[in-house]
Amino acid sequence: MSGMEPNARDQARKSAAEPPVVVYEGVVKRFGDFTALNGVSASVNRGEVVCLIGPSGSGKSTLLRCTNMLETVDGGRVLFDDAPLPTTESEARRVRRRMGMVFQNFELFPHMTALENVSVGPQTVLGASARSARDRAQALLDKVGLSEKADSYPNTLSGGQQQRVAIARALAMDPEVMLFDEPTSALDPETIGEVLNVMKQLAEEGMTMIVVTHEMAFARRVGNWVIVFDHGRVIEQGPPAQIFERPHEERTREFLSHLAWSG
Amino acid sequence: MNLDWSVAWQYRGMLADGVVVTILLTVLTMAISVPAGIGVMLLRQSRFPILRAIGLVYVEFFRNLPLILLVYWSFYVLPLLIDLQLSPFATGLVALCLNVTAYNSETFRAGVNSIRAGQTNAGLALGMSRWQVMRKVVLPQALRRILPVLASTWVSLFKDTSLVSVIAVGDLAHAALQVRSQTFRVLEMLTVMALIYWSLGYPQAKLVDWIHRKYGTSE
Repeated sequence: MSGMEPNARDQARKSAAEPPVVVYEGVVKRFGDFTALNGVSASVNRGEVVCLIGPSGSGKSTLLRCTNMLETVDGGRVLFDDAPLPTTESEARRVRRRMGMVFQNFELFPHMTALENVSVGPQTVLGASARSARDRAQALLDKVGLSEKADSYPNTLSGGQQQRVAIARALAMDPEVMLFDEPTSALDPETIGEVLNVMKQLAEEGMTMIVVTHEMAFARRVGNWVIVFDHGRVIEQGPPAQIFERPHEERTREFLSHLAWSG
Repeated sequence: MNLDWSVAWQYRGMLADGVVVTILLTVLTMAISVPAGIGVMLLRQSRFPILRAIGLVYVEFFRNLPLILLVYWSFYVLPLLIDLQLSPFATGLVALCLNVTAYNSETFRAGVNSIRAGQTNAGLALGMSRWQVMRKVVLPQALRRILPVLASTWVSLFKDTSLVSVIAVGDLAHAALQVRSQTFRVLEMLTVMALIYWSLGYPQAKLVDWIHRKYGTSE
């Protein structure tokens, strides 16, 4: 791992010329007696790749799901584009259209081909014509390197291919922010790279990304900002160089050492 | 014993008409009860407690009454209740639909609930409304999954249509029983009736087995 130079992107946080696109203010989320998020505050600037890391069950995925209202927040608030997240279903839909989400288990629609998976969003939600949605879907499949798989059904694709289709599906809505929920955790080791490469390419194009991941090499090389979770709290956040080379917190060090990460 | 099988041939026209009515009743009942069953299922899944209650009462009421009682009830009570005089055929159709819709809605509910929440989340994350998620994502998958159950319901229904014969709908059972009482050829007509039901029902049952094999085990 020592051969990797930190990307220039993570030397400094994106300038604060623009207000952050997503802000978490003391977010609290409970499931019954269990407190999944216990006052999480953080922010995401436009064009940044923010990586959420930490042990399983530490609240990273829950925070991601609170970002596009797949979960409701019990305390604190989440701001998107300077406005608190809405509470009504129809307003929620408008916000969700502006965010793409990629799931750990892909969640492709099994009764649709790859192309239909990618075109169904624009067609159903944005009212795009069948033709323009198809053209755009084909272009996006090209982008993720799956142009020849347009007519394949998900169950005939490998995990890595399915996840790339899922990324294309999310991109089809032309989102301002992409949310990745452990996008490589369900993949065979040999297909992880192809998904990370697509994500890296997106990052280089300037996409704002919030990524829950256990891929420390990705967080270090592609991330601009890393947030470390434990027991529903942020224990440390900072640029990758800080988190991976000279963490301020003992618990960060501990977590990374459990992953056999050698800065 | 003196058997005369020629009565069946002699009354073949009447029996054939009965077969047509039986098939028509089955097809129409299913054509109405599948969409109606989806409707009742949607009521039961609604966000609004009052709609959920209506769906629940419907299902629990009509699912737990003997079909023959529903047939009689539709025939004698419905006209008094809403002053609507339907033909025996339409009355029988109403009774069958009330019953089968209740069953279908439960079948659809099981199918919809078997689709994992992640699929709904994926649809919602794209900005779809709950209704769009249901229509585009959940229902098509659920339908595939419950096809074997719907096929079984179909075969049961095909036989259960015989119950409407009690209100003189000219279905196969009614036709055969009519011939029986006109000719007193009890054994012959019951046997012929059994043969016709069986020879029509058996291929359908085989078709259901095939559907089970093809769709029953897929993801």
